[in-house]
Amino acid sequence: MKPWTKKYIHRKNKMKKWTICATALVLMSATGWMVVFAQEDPYVERLDTWAFESPRRPGAVFSHDDHIMDLDDDCSICHHVYEDGELVPGESSEDYYCSDCHGTEPAPDNQMPLEAAYHNLCRDCHFDRGKGPVLCGECHIKE
Amino acid sequence: MNSFIAFIMGPMVWISAIIFVGGLLFKFIGIVQSVRQKEPYIFSYMTLKHSLRSIGAWLVPFFPKSTRLRPVYYGISYIFHILLFVVPLFLASHIVLINEAFQISWPALNNSLADWLTLVVIAALLFFVVRRQMVPEVAYLTRPSDYLMIAIVALPFVTGFLAYHQWFAYRWMAVAHVLSGELMLIIIPFSRLSHMLTAPLTRAYMGSEFGHVRHARDW
Repeated sequence: MKPWTKKYIHRKNKMKKWTICATALVLMSATGWMVVFAQEDPYVERLDTWAFESPRRPGAVFSHDDHIMDLDDDCSICHHVYEDGELVPGESSEDYYCSDCHGTEPAPDNQMPLEAAYHNLCRDCHFDRGKGPVLCGECHIKE
Repeated sequence: MNSFIAFIMGPMVWISAIIFVGGLLFKFIGIVQSVRQKEPYIFSYMTLKHSLRSIGAWLVPFFPKSTRLRPVYYGISYIFHILLFVVPLFLASHIVLINEAFQISWPALNNSLADWLTLVVIAALLFFVVRRQMVPEVAYLTRPSDYLMIAIVALPFVTGFLAYHQWFAYRWMAVAHVLSGELMLIIIPFSRLSHMLTAPLTRAYMGSEFGHVRHARDW
């Protein structure tokens, strides 16, 4: 046997063993995780998606009560009022739908479309306060 | 944890994008400089016409003779390379993030189509692994780093697929997805993944050598 052939076979066998071990490890840990975490969700409160024509993801999970408590009853933090692009301090808009101001499609008179409005308001606040979900699937949990 | 996520989805994206673009730029300058030092006469017969002709010929599926000799490998390779760019760039979730950062947007793939195409990418990568083990002349040239490269490319797709389906450990899967995407961008200029720059350069050189000097085709 030529020396380079010998070396090649030796290396190949070693690699095969290594590959099999790694594959087995990945598969085993994957099944393990799935058994532990793939449990039925209890009932969760979600945002309504009726304003969107064809939502790509399920409505975000959201507890109104928790937010009222965490924000010390200051409704205007979320139910804000903007005039000419400026936040009006102290004014709040609980009697309106978000989609009354934020249309779904971007337009010159609609700088903050509904989807971006939700994403920015929720995510930026969660980043700023260092608490709450910030990744896509943490709010849009599969139904 | 939120501030860590803010970092990897904010500044770290910029850092990896700058290393990716800047690294490839430096590599390009380095290649041109070393040609100028070692074999400057190459520039005397490099032409834009023959360069683009060769690049164009090799972009057309099964146009070059050697791709017709191995239709399965080249077919899978073509599909893989197209999807490698199309799936991430036209994924709805990615476009949403870009739209919120830069207020620009473009049409997205349907989510379930993108899901299937992700599986096609992963299957193609598995095919490359098996090929490296089964085809003797390829196995002889294969080093462990070749599998590492395949793993680095596979990771963003595998973690993205698992994160999208939210089957388990979603938060960690999403973090791994972001980090592995950034890792791939960072590693491209320093590894053989830089063939996204050097492959067209090779074609430009071969196309000029064959077309301009020998008056022959290189496909």
